[in-house]
Amino acid sequence: MSLVTTLLDFLPEILLLAGALLVFLVDALGLRRIEVVGSIAVVTILLALLFVFADLGFAPVAFLAAIPPGQIDVFPPAGSTPLYWFTSLGLFFQTFFLLAAFLVALASMSRPSRERGAAVFYGLILLATLGMMLVAVASDLIFLLIAIEVVSIPSYLLVAYTRRDTRSMEAAMKFFIVGALSTVLSFFGASFLYGAYGTTNLFVLASGSAIANGAAGGGGFPLLVVIGYSLLIAGLAFKITLVPFHAWAVDVYDGAPDDVSAFLAGGTKKIGLFAFFLVFLGPVLFAKVAFQWFGGIGPVSFGPVLQVLLSILAVVTMSVGNVLALMQKSMKRMLAYSSISQAGYMLIGVAIGTAPALTGASLQVFAHVFMKSGAFLVVAAAAGLGVGPLIADWRGLGQKRPWLSAAFALMLLSLAGMPLTVGFVSKFVLFSAAIEAQGYFVWLAVAGLLNSALSVFYYGRVLKVIYFDSPAAAPAVPAPEGASPAASGAAAGPDHTPTAPLALGGLGYARAATIAIVAIVIVVLGIYPGPLLQPLAAAAQHFIRLGL
Amino acid sequence: MNFWVSLDQWAFLVPLLPALAFVIIGALGERLSKLEHGGWLAVLFSAGSMVLGFLIAIGEMLGPGTYVDVRYTWFSIPPSSTGFRDGFSLVMGTLVDPISALMLIVVTLVGFVVMLYSIGYMHRDTGLPRYYAILSLFLTAMLGVVLADNLLMFFLFWELVGVCSYFLIGFYYAKPSAASAAKEAFIVTRVGDVLFLAGIFIYFAMYASADPSWAASGFLFTKGNAAFLPLGQGVNPTLLTIAGIFLLAGAAGKSAQFPLDAWLPDAMEGPTTVSALIHAATMVAAGVYLLVIGSLFLGFTSTDQLAIVAVGGFTTIWAASMACVHTDIKRVIAYSTVSQLGYMVLAVGAGFAMVGLFHLYTHAMFKALLFLAAGSVIHAVTTQDLFKMGGLRKKMRYTAFAFLAGAFALSGIPPFGGFWSKDDILSSVYSQLGTHPEYWPFYLMALATVFLTAYYIFRVYFLAFEGPSSREPGLSEHAHESPWVMRVPMLVLAGMAIVAGLLVFIPPFATLFNPTLTSPAFPVALPLNVPPSYPLVDIELSALSVALAVGGILVAWWLWGNGRLASMPRSAPARWMRETLLQRYYVKAAYDWIGGVGVYSIARASDFVDRFVIDGTVRGFERSFAGISQRMRKIQTGVVSDYAAYVITGLIAVFVIVLFVAPWLVSRLGGG
Repeated sequence: MSLVTTLLDFLPEILLLAGALLVFLVDALGLRRIEVVGSIAVVTILLALLFVFADLGFAPVAFLAAIPPGQIDVFPPAGSTPLYWFTSLGLFFQTFFLLAAFLVALASMSRPSRERGAAVFYGLILLATLGMMLVAVASDLIFLLIAIEVVSIPSYLLVAYTRRDTRSMEAAMKFFIVGALSTVLSFFGASFLYGAYGTTNLFVLASGSAIANGAAGGGGFPLLVVIGYSLLIAGLAFKITLVPFHAWAVDVYDGAPDDVSAFLAGGTKKIGLFAFFLVFLGPVLFAKVAFQWFGGIGPVSFGPVLQVLLSILAVVTMSVGNVLALMQKSMKRMLAYSSISQAGYMLIGVAIGTAPALTGASLQVFAHVFMKSGAFLVVAAAAGLGVGPLIADWRGLGQKRPWLSAAFALMLLSLAGMPLTVGFVSKFVLFSAAIEAQGYFVWLAVAGLLNSALSVFYYGRVLKVIYFDSPAAAPAVPAPEGASPAASGAAAGPDHTPTAPLALGGLGYARAATIAIVAIVIVVLGIYPGPLLQPLAAAAQHFIRLGL
Repeated sequence: MNFWVSLDQWAFLVPLLPALAFVIIGALGERLSKLEHGGWLAVLFSAGSMVLGFLIAIGEMLGPGTYVDVRYTWFSIPPSSTGFRDGFSLVMGTLVDPISALMLIVVTLVGFVVMLYSIGYMHRDTGLPRYYAILSLFLTAMLGVVLADNLLMFFLFWELVGVCSYFLIGFYYAKPSAASAAKEAFIVTRVGDVLFLAGIFIYFAMYASADPSWAASGFLFTKGNAAFLPLGQGVNPTLLTIAGIFLLAGAAGKSAQFPLDAWLPDAMEGPTTVSALIHAATMVAAGVYLLVIGSLFLGFTSTDQLAIVAVGGFTTIWAASMACVHTDIKRVIAYSTVSQLGYMVLAVGAGFAMVGLFHLYTHAMFKALLFLAAGSVIHAVTTQDLFKMGGLRKKMRYTAFAFLAGAFALSGIPPFGGFWSKDDILSSVYSQLGTHPEYWPFYLMALATVFLTAYYIFRVYFLAFEGPSSREPGLSEHAHESPWVMRVPMLVLAGMAIVAGLLVFIPPFATLFNPTLTSPAFPVALPLNVPPSYPLVDIELSALSVALAVGGILVAWWLWGNGRLASMPRSAPARWMRETLLQRYYVKAAYDWIGGVGVYSIARASDFVDRFVIDGTVRGFERSFAGISQRMRKIQTGVVSDYAAYVITGLIAVFVIVLFVAPWLVSRLGGG
């Protein structure tokens, strides 16, 4: 592999890096208006998206493809241990990540033009997205973990980038400390696996023969392997906020600026799920050699044990997330807990390990990118309109802002899995795959459905507040500067540069457009999911075949 | 004949038209104030839906008995080697067969007349666009349930029906009792729905393992496809029984059968029009419709049948007894609905699905009529308390006539509609007593209920309409007859209440109740037992039930007729009994206790565990290990170390599960 082909392989990533550097350069030159840096970021992301689409074989742009189609979804040559490898499922996840970044980048362009730290915000978003792209192509454990760090470090900074709010500083601190602990656990786990196998290549780790021969060394109990994977679960569970590794998420999503919460919950969190695909699907599928376990249990092979563990984590996560979401009074904390419970649904896909289950989980990721980023972006929009942080502060928004409320209602209904939204399709595929898998997996579907029914209550409560409670009782919160035309006009003193009033009644074109895009995607793919579902299912099948 | 069959291709328009009304009214809202806030649009679209529905039903009568299934694949999962070997599709389709044609007649007719009636009845209310939009959406959902050709689609629309019902019960949401009734209805029916869904799962799992290609062709059953009838296919009978019980639970939730019956009387907090359409004629009948489908297409085991018979039979007398003491005119009729639904469930359980459907059809007409007449009364006197009314017949002749027609039909006096269907149920169940002696108690309950039914409905009639004048002074003097938009619907339904039973003797109409046995839908011979194939041999039984009904009317007249107000018996047992009935046998109080103490304390406990036990333990560790003083804790952010402690706790849990719990589970489950 020559340097040129390697560089071509990473064309979208290089674009993102270049975009980030350009943003910082422009900032250094003094052009720090949000319109400038925001446009650079949005265009960069769109270009990267175009190239990823091309690599996926999307016909209208196929001529741009940098990776020959023959190099996707094939086995690596015998004896080679590549650091990265292209799978169509990975490319799909790249598009999901880029879409999340795109939504946040576009919506944030409606923030005040001269806001401090705009360049930092966009630069960090681009760098974190770069890391996410790398996660999606990793085929080596160390490559994967480093890529995750490339995402994590900008994420910590993003939470605190405004440097104004002590709450976000505190959140960033917590995020960093717990994140560092998780990183340590992950690398510690990887070292155990290296000790067992002599390699960290995921293809090798995945194949059943390695678990039998390399680890056991003649049929003994593969303690190194089991400990290694357990540590990895603990480390990666932090990323996708599995209970009990979830506690940071609520504070961070709550404390971070709204747009950053959208990016973290809708975007970066999902790398954890793909890492779960990469690391644990292999043992789930191929670890079929039975061993005698401690206490004379067995002989039992590692794969089913891992499935049981993942199932338990999935059920605990979705249930705890939902129950705690029921009790939240703050909108962002409610969304944070709902995000935690959604991670539980996604994990079902890994636990079952069939192609339809993987399809459902991936679809759930896609849906969640839109639903959850969208919801946090609406929260940001509402904050701009002077709506307070509590759910009760949203009283009567349905009458005052019918379109914004309708879009938000759509996102919540989709999160609850109502038909005609994309959230229904993904849950339907996921749960029917669980039922089809038979055995105790049926109970995963039952738990998922009970949880969905439970979630209707807290989403419904928000809808009730928005549409049925009278707005009169809501305390008038003074709108922040530049939030609404009236407020900004009144606040403009003589030495205060007048901020241009935002279009569309204080939302701004960019944010309004983003919210509209999210709403349209939720409905269109909810009614007509075929164009996404079919290729995604094919990609999931290839992924399972590769056994990554 | 081709014209009629081709009409079935357009069946999807029947639910779509009210959906359009929903979208238009929802989008335009108050801008439609000239059109009665969207009311006339709703009337227009429901009329269109009714015309098409009737045409399709006529085609079905002339067909006769065709089965036209039009299917659209919504989305499908492609086949793969690891799961869904033959792929898997989610199908939306409409199936027009005799049963759905009959339901089309019932739902579109009652839907249309109630919409029309609403124009007059709701005129003085605010929030009308919301009312008409949601009522239209309800019609869509209900027609979707009727036309669904597979269980999953059935379930989706079934849920939508429940959501609409929730919003309409809580229409006067500023009123706390309305809001709480809406919530109660939603939660109680949800209990049934969760079990129903579990039943669907079991059918799904049974079939998917029996025949993998089956999942590819659609979701669950297709009405009219004999291959899916599990009887005699070697399906595990225990599983089949459990699935049937779950189906019964779903039906009991929707149709307010014991023990999930408490929500329906409380649902009367909604507008009376809503009570007529949703909580009398259509939605609550959907549970019976589900049982009909279950018994025809999925098959019940004899255990299931006994359970269904028991639930239905007991509910008849359970609800009728409570109807005898209540003084709120709408609540009495609501209890009556619960009781009558019990008759239908009883018939279906005893194996006479079409007989149950027959009663569903006559009941929809006369019960909607009773509610509309009650609404007309409430509209005129603005109270629902029977003990304040009286003497209204002179002021409201049309209403009194309509109510009387409904009351005769409900009591089962020939030739009114209710007589034929109720008598059919009683004699059909009676015919089974030889082979199923265990049905005896439930048959007797149903028989005794005939007497109670006639008594409570004529108690209402005498209290409201007869006597010299109202008991509360001035009420009847200011009463006036309702406008024509309310009279016409009442007269239409009064006509139906009178002739609904006789119509069945017209041969084309009778084909709806007697589906051809040679059709692929019915590989097993069905005991149809609906006129004209039901031969009226049990003339003594009919005489007995008519005598009971007449007796009930006479007792009601003796106690309440001619302006009499029966004085309450003073004896302690009588007072105790009355109080028990008014308190609904204290079941609701028990539910409230369970709900309040049980569920709420679980929520509280988990909150407590999260806040104090987990946090507390972690903090406790912190203190005991390091002995950190309060000052030190402030310097350390504290909470972060808690989170780190969570991670470590989680890691330990993962180790324990991986090394001990999971292997043990796997070895027990046999998946290793």
